[in-house]
Amino acid sequence: MERRPKEFDPAGGGWAPWLFLSPLLVFAALFFVLPLGFSVYLSFTRWNPLGTPDWVGLRQFEYLLTRDTTFWATILNTFVFAFGFVVAGVPLALGLAFVFSRARGKAVWRSVYYLPQLTNIVAIAYLWQFVLDDRYGLVNRLLGMAGLRGPDWLTDPVMAMISVVMVMVWYDAGKNMLVFSAALEAVDQEIYDAATLDGAGATRTLWSVTLPMIRPAFIFVTITSFITGMGFFALILAMTGGGPRGATEVTALYTYRMAFEDLRMGRASAGALILFVIIGVISLLQFRALKERAT
Amino acid sequence: MPHRTIIAATLVTAGTSLAAVAQDAPLTVAMHYTQEQAAPLLACLEEYDADGVTAQYQQISYRDYLQTVLTGRLGGQSPDIYNLYSIWAAQMVDNGVLDTPPDDLVSFVTDSYAEGTVDAATIDGTLWGVPTEVSAYLLVSNMALLREAGYDAPPATWDELREVAEAVTTRNAQGRIENAGFAIADSSSGAGFVHPFYALLYSEGGTPYSEDFAEANFESPEAVDALSLMAGLTQDDITDLSVDAYDFPAGGIGMMIMANWFKSEIAAGFGDAFAQDVVASAIPMGEEWRTLQYAFFMGVDSNSDRPEEAWALVRHLNEPRDGGPSCMGEMLAGLGALTANEADNAALPEPDAFTAPFVAALAEGRAISQPNVMQSAEIEGMMAQTIERVMAGEAEPEPALSGLDVEVEDILFEFY
Repeated sequence: MERRPKEFDPAGGGWAPWLFLSPLLVFAALFFVLPLGFSVYLSFTRWNPLGTPDWVGLRQFEYLLTRDTTFWATILNTFVFAFGFVVAGVPLALGLAFVFSRARGKAVWRSVYYLPQLTNIVAIAYLWQFVLDDRYGLVNRLLGMAGLRGPDWLTDPVMAMISVVMVMVWYDAGKNMLVFSAALEAVDQEIYDAATLDGAGATRTLWSVTLPMIRPAFIFVTITSFITGMGFFALILAMTGGGPRGATEVTALYTYRMAFEDLRMGRASAGALILFVIIGVISLLQFRALKERAT
Repeated sequence: MPHRTIIAATLVTAGTSLAAVAQDAPLTVAMHYTQEQAAPLLACLEEYDADGVTAQYQQISYRDYLQTVLTGRLGGQSPDIYNLYSIWAAQMVDNGVLDTPPDDLVSFVTDSYAEGTVDAATIDGTLWGVPTEVSAYLLVSNMALLREAGYDAPPATWDELREVAEAVTTRNAQGRIENAGFAIADSSSGAGFVHPFYALLYSEGGTPYSEDFAEANFESPEAVDALSLMAGLTQDDITDLSVDAYDFPAGGIGMMIMANWFKSEIAAGFGDAFAQDVVASAIPMGEEWRTLQYAFFMGVDSNSDRPEEAWALVRHLNEPRDGGPSCMGEMLAGLGALTANEADNAALPEPDAFTAPFVAALAEGRAISQPNVMQSAEIEGMMAQTIERVMAGEAEPEPALSGLDVEVEDILFEFY
């Protein structure tokens, strides 16, 4: 009689599984659970890091949700930024992956588009400031030479948001392109051959074969891009500082300022927690919606 | 030997060794100046040896200063000596971050420094350190552009400023400003909007807060008038917010209300033409003009394990040396910055034509200290956004300032 291998059971295997898991558990406890727990605790306090926290119950949440109009404005900005990033960034990354999957020297092209990911985000922000500066920027100078008045890329509230979304899309396109490229490469050539035999054209093959086959990658990229967009602020901090007049001030940047410039750690933690819940709920809904469509 | 005894002995030895190491470690002086800017001070720190106590310099960028201090304190690694912007002081004092200076140092400061600047280092009647760099705001003009537009002297009133600025402003074929008659500085802290506003508010005879800081005065007619003057420049197309006063050194800006610390940048930009083409003059608000001054001061961290030695070093760095200026005075003079140390001012060469009006503004009592109110940075951020919104034409001065007043009083209510 053949002996079946024993299945792994961390609860019933004695101390050995826990021993091997312990580095990971300790790491998670120290760097995820503890900070998150501390942040949740802080959100119920009033604390500037120079003193000791005072318990204030739900007052920080009450202030942010009922009295702080700037907080709501930053939530709106966050959604605009995140949706703009997903709506413009995901199709672009997919398009690039699709084009380069059939291009000569695709490894070189992919490397070129991935380069921004290897560059410091602050350097990217400064570079784009030079390009988009209203008076001295490269873009407006070139438009000026053609007799055109360029937009106020960084001083007009609407254009400033468009500018930061555009730069974020540029910065992140290479990363998502690689995910889509890997997914495209994984599609079996025989499926394309079968589609061709059935008389499907290029467009029909794209819609009926390629996109359904790479749907897991599409779900992954959409959700991770959305989460990135909702919580990202380093680029905005360096590029516009949240301006002009708060037009690009997203919630993550607002809470960062609250914590480290205004020294309101309790309120900042409450703001971050609200953002965390919003991201969590929307990501869950998004995941379910996209998964339902896939099945 | 029982295990417990061995462990206890080891801990005691380790603790004693750590304490000895801390005592032997150099005192740390944390400032925002770069190594290059602080060169004269660094030389003093390198030479410093008071009975075995030495010193070292730690540069923290101005933008990250407060955060670094906070993080360092949370981690138990704060420097011994700070150079603090006065508006941070109220919160630091409120939370017991600063050590009180010894009596002899208090006497040294009150005897040697201009009274207005001593106020910057004073919270609720207690002095918390030695004033170092002082900055005041004046009208700074590019006379080459003004002369080109037909004006030989900077304006003395706001109406004149509008007239001159309009004459200097030129636009390209697309309507974009090329030479700006007047510009506001685009600073991350909002100071570019707030500090000129303070200068105009003080000149109008207003104050931002009641004396006890329990109320804000942003609804006052003086505040509305001050903001209306600033907003008039953009509403009447004399300038716009795409122009940044920090571009003044490049030569395309006629006038700005700016602090003296920017002198080195302007001088670098103008080169040999600096002395002839750049003029600092009174805030153009007539005879009764006033302006804003702010200061940094050196204080000692209450967690320093050698506070007496730290205060001795603070004094050493700020005390005149054999008839010459102090280490700090020499460094500030090199930067084109001002000091309120009277002995330093006597020991240093006469200020040049650009700096002299700033020195006079401080000496004549025209420069009023920036208020040391709690949550200053937060409040000034709000002020900057309000001023910018009005200047961009998105709000009218009176309702915008009323809204600001309510927001600021909300904050003041927490602390006063």
